Amino acid sequence: MIVTKMALPRRTFLRGLGAAFALPLLDAMVPAFSSVASAAKPICRLGFIYVPNGVAMNDALNFWTPKGSGTNFELSRILTPLAPYRDRLTVVSGLAQKQGESQGDGNGEHTRACATWLNGVHPKKTEGADIRLGTTADQIAAAQLGKETVLPSMEMISSELDLVLGGQCEAGYSCAYMNTVSWQSPTTPLPVENNPSVVFERLFGVGGTPEERLDRMRKKRSLLDRVNNDLARLQRSLGPSDRARIAEYLEAVREVERRIQAAERQSAESTLPVPDRPIGIPVRFDEHLKLLYDLQWLAYQGDLTRVFSLMYGRELNSRSFPEIGISDPHHGLSHHGDKPEQLEKFSRLNTYQVELFAYFLEKLRSTPDGDGNLLDNTILLYGGAMSNPNVHLHVNLPLVVAGGGAGSLKGGRHLAFNPADGVPMTNLLVSLLDKAGVTVDQLGDSTGRLNLDTLADL
Amino acid sequence: MRRRVCSALVGASTLVLTASVCLVALTAQQPAPEQPAPEQPAPSPVPAAPAAAAVLSPQQLTLNRYCIGCHNQRAKTAGLALDTLDLGHVGEHPEIWEKVVQKLNGKLMPPGGRPRPDEATYAKLTSYLEASLDEAAIANANPGRTEALHRLNRAEYRNAVRDLLAVDIDVSSMLPADDISYGFDNIAGVQRMSPTLMERYIAAAEKISTVAVGASALPPTTDNFIVPPELRQDDRLDTLPFGTRGGTAVHYTFPRDGIYNVRVQLTRNAGASFDDIPSFYSPQRLELSVDDTPIHVFELPAEPAKGAGPAAVQGTARRALDSDWQVRFEAKAGPRTVALTFLNRTPALLENLLEPFEKPVPGGSNGYYTTQKGAYLHSVAISGPYEDNGPGQTPSRERIFICRPAGVGEETRCATKILSALARRAFRRPVQDADLETLLAFYQEGRSGASFEAGIERAVEGLLVSPEFLYRIEREPAAASGSIYRISDVELASRLSFFLWSSIPDDALLEAASGGTLHTPGVLDRQVRRMLADPRAEALVNNFVGQWLFLRNLPTILPDPRKDPDFDEGLRQGFRRETELFTGSVIREDRSLLDLLNANYTFVNERLARHYGIPNIYGTHFRRVEVTDDNRRGLLGQGSVLTITSFPNRTSPVVRGKWILENLLGSPLPPPPPDVPTLKEKPNAADEELSMRDRIAQHRASPVCAACHAMMDPLGLSLENYDFVGKWRTADEALISIDASGTLPDGTKFEGPAGLRKVLLDHPDHFVRTFTEKMLTYALGRGLEYYDMPAVRKIVRGAAGNDYRASAVILGIVDSLPFQMRRRES
Repeated sequence: MIVTKMALPRRTFLRGLGAAFALPLLDAMVPAFSSVASAAKPICRLGFIYVPNGVAMNDALNFWTPKGSGTNFELSRILTPLAPYRDRLTVVSGLAQKQGESQGDGNGEHTRACATWLNGVHPKKTEGADIRLGTTADQIAAAQLGKETVLPSMEMISSELDLVLGGQCEAGYSCAYMNTVSWQSPTTPLPVENNPSVVFERLFGVGGTPEERLDRMRKKRSLLDRVNNDLARLQRSLGPSDRARIAEYLEAVREVERRIQAAERQSAESTLPVPDRPIGIPVRFDEHLKLLYDLQWLAYQGDLTRVFSLMYGRELNSRSFPEIGISDPHHGLSHHGDKPEQLEKFSRLNTYQVELFAYFLEKLRSTPDGDGNLLDNTILLYGGAMSNPNVHLHVNLPLVVAGGGAGSLKGGRHLAFNPADGVPMTNLLVSLLDKAGVTVDQLGDSTGRLNLDTLADL
Repeated sequence: MRRRVCSALVGASTLVLTASVCLVALTAQQPAPEQPAPEQPAPSPVPAAPAAAAVLSPQQLTLNRYCIGCHNQRAKTAGLALDTLDLGHVGEHPEIWEKVVQKLNGKLMPPGGRPRPDEATYAKLTSYLEASLDEAAIANANPGRTEALHRLNRAEYRNAVRDLLAVDIDVSSMLPADDISYGFDNIAGVQRMSPTLMERYIAAAEKISTVAVGASALPPTTDNFIVPPELRQDDRLDTLPFGTRGGTAVHYTFPRDGIYNVRVQLTRNAGASFDDIPSFYSPQRLELSVDDTPIHVFELPAEPAKGAGPAAVQGTARRALDSDWQVRFEAKAGPRTVALTFLNRTPALLENLLEPFEKPVPGGSNGYYTTQKGAYLHSVAISGPYEDNGPGQTPSRERIFICRPAGVGEETRCATKILSALARRAFRRPVQDADLETLLAFYQEGRSGASFEAGIERAVEGLLVSPEFLYRIEREPAAASGSIYRISDVELASRLSFFLWSSIPDDALLEAASGGTLHTPGVLDRQVRRMLADPRAEALVNNFVGQWLFLRNLPTILPDPRKDPDFDEGLRQGFRRETELFTGSVIREDRSLLDLLNANYTFVNERLARHYGIPNIYGTHFRRVEVTDDNRRGLLGQGSVLTITSFPNRTSPVVRGKWILENLLGSPLPPPPPDVPTLKEKPNAADEELSMRDRIAQHRASPVCAACHAMMDPLGLSLENYDFVGKWRTADEALISIDASGTLPDGTKFEGPAGLRKVLLDHPDHFVRTFTEKMLTYALGRGLEYYDMPAVRKIVRGAAGNDYRASAVILGIVDSLPFQMRRRES
């Protein structure tokens, strides 16, 4: 809504409407974008891409894990679409997310898988006001890397729905736990956006001349000033426990003020043009996802945000994929019953998902940034929070890291940890944050760091 | 021996004991609700220790004999020890005894295989506990506590803006969705604030205030409306004129007087001659009208018959036929209907006419590509305003500008008047000086250097981001007396309006509240009935029923076109409309809630009637019809429910059974244990063809599975005559005839939808209690706790004496302790 570093000429909105969906339109303005990173010190960007309902693997058949380890490995069927980027890949297998296990909380495997993925914190089982989890890795990164950008982070989902519907959450858990993988604080889940048009507006604003836009920002700041006054008044009239809610509100107001200031600072500097706004939500999964990837690619290029999370749908979703001949609902298919033909079918869906990830990698790789390209200066974690979904396993998770991390990641390797050791996935998250220059002592149940550069651990 | 049994039970306890209420309950004798507690023998004061003293009460004997064997201090099966509790004073531990009541009501305990008392004894214990709990609740009332700050959810925000400013907004493009808990998206505890949300509220306030007040010029924007890809366009569509076919009608608010542009696109070929506009043999004319005034007609030339005339337009030229289909015209500000529809009869090929309900093949880009031949509308894009001619006269401006300053000197007075009126409704309470101070400061800021109207616009923007608007706020009264208190009339007014209208109170309600009489029985009753009769009560159907019955899930249902080529958008929308009209009629006409299961009428249009096999229904509008087929009566015969509870390619008796247990009988089941294989999609060649019944018989082969499936499966199997989109059938996909008979765990036999209905209706209180629990959750915006159960029972008892009328439950909720009172912060 607010922001853009762009000084917009008044746009002719009609142009190209005929192809309002198609992304090629966004491609058309590529040359106009120049990367903000100076060659001397490239910016490292982060992205977390979540695949719900696990992948096609069980003890007998494994379509995910590469054969071999170290630098000598063979990409699995599902990962084959990533072959062109092999030198930028670090496949990490054998890690666990033990906090996703029940620990006496009974059922709710899908909820806990999604909830723990980026924080390693066991969710409190409740549907009430006491929902509690942990700040997620993307938000820890956003708090630091996002100080300079107008949006600290972007949260998106490729789903026809913008929420989990009634009857699709697991009993005893608020749907909040399954709606998002991004928590700004232990009590603040962030909404994820499925509408490309809204993502666009958050990145590029609603148009107008530079003067109009600056004026609008000033007005918003004064709006927030007065809201602050209202809140102070309100706070006095409430009891102690309700004041926490007001604090939440105050915090949100302050953060939005900061974003507006960042937008004001950047607004004067840039004269980059803005692409046409996409309209509506594509029905097809691949078209929808590509559009979101395209927008994130633009956001990276314009340095509008350096961190994102993207969900390929929610746990337990029942989407079918007729475009690749899969009419089974996603969750149903993930319960493959150990039948080889069902596993094979599920692997086709997983491969399709990875193909779309490869689409993003290609866009990044073909975009110059600093001395190299955007992929060189990015760290992307792609994967899920269950290995064999048929039995909801929270160990041996399917995870692959892509990107060069601005020189911090070597790539071209498969780090195969022994699943029996149950090394926490949070160790990987902490290590990736390190690489991006975000230092945390510990995250959730992390016990240390992984050495992603040598193969010494293996 | 006994010890061994108990420890074995501990092992299996997660499944058995959490399986809450079972269906067995359905056939159990229920204690008559009006049976008063005093008829029970006097509660024994004797503690329940096994080493008992003199005379034990009958219920203590029952407990000792059937329950305490496992639920004692030593075994503590499922963490429950009943031997140390005093059955004579259940009010000391209502949280435990309510759990016991829940298990007993479901006939879940004692578990299968253990000795069980006869029905009369069983019922006596249950009713004794319920009566004692209810009595204890009178002495020790606990109304619970919804959070003091209750953020408006998306639907409420939209309705509040509509009722405050007379603007209809597309809220889903403005605000993110709200997290659901307890099945509803209005639960106060989880409606959190985040910077992302704040940012969106600010953006929404800017847009809404500009459109509503109209003081600022607007840069042109584009809204694109896509015709649902599975919508048939060979016939007239509802709300479009007779003699037309296809197209769409868009409700669009022109924000300013000015010049607007409409651009339309047709669907394209998906297969051969990909991307071409399909060819056809007659010219096609697509008319654009605004509020029934024709604006323009787009013409497509016909393709000449073979051998006659010049060759047809082909290739890139065919693609470009609609490339210049746009028109600029002048429009007046305000809400209008922009309609686009084809003026002539169907251009469809004969094949399409022979299969009138075959849908265009989906899967293209938003239906942009289709295999169906003919001219069909794909999308409409409305852009503008170009050449801004001022704000015009709109319902919003009429609503807002209740005065006009005659000169500069009058401006502040008029602004104060306008903003006081808006603030009272936006904040849902009498306006205070501090409110006006803030709003007038906004006004001054907007006024300076601009116009009076710009000042109002700015103040409206400020109003819309105020926490007093975005949150329903309940403040504790300063005067401390007791741990619970009656909420103020003004707060009660908001509880009422958000419950019944999902919106802010209107003037009549606010007046009753500020008069301090709202909570008095006569006034409250009258207000509730008035509000239920108001069109805004439609929100109760959209938001409460839509979530209770999962109607909101319908848009996500994409039946496999290879399994059912007939399913189309008209049917999907028809399903939802039918159930909305049907449940709405029960509420509006104040019918018995049991009619939801049993009514002999429903609402259909031609499309739906064909689906159900109801003859002689023509046209697109919905009308009330008598249901003559006994199987189709009530919700369980409606396509909406039957489709929502199916997979995209087959029925699922388990999902249907679970849906019935959870949503009609209030018996949430735990998810299945891990490591459960799915059913075979297709039998192996070596296998015989198996019916669904035989395949899911596997469920009951394993005792772990059988505990729940013995309840779910028979319920679902009785509906097997309905296929996965609710069409009647007598044989399944494998052509095996359907056997819809079933036996409940207690031995009750029943068959088919009618048989199932009878089973449900034999115990009306189960259904009404579930309905009440769901509705009370929705009304309060919080999950129910043990201390709410006496209120639930009271409402159900009251409704039973009133034929279970909808109003009896709704008024019962409004009159209830948790709705009218609140617990202080501890």
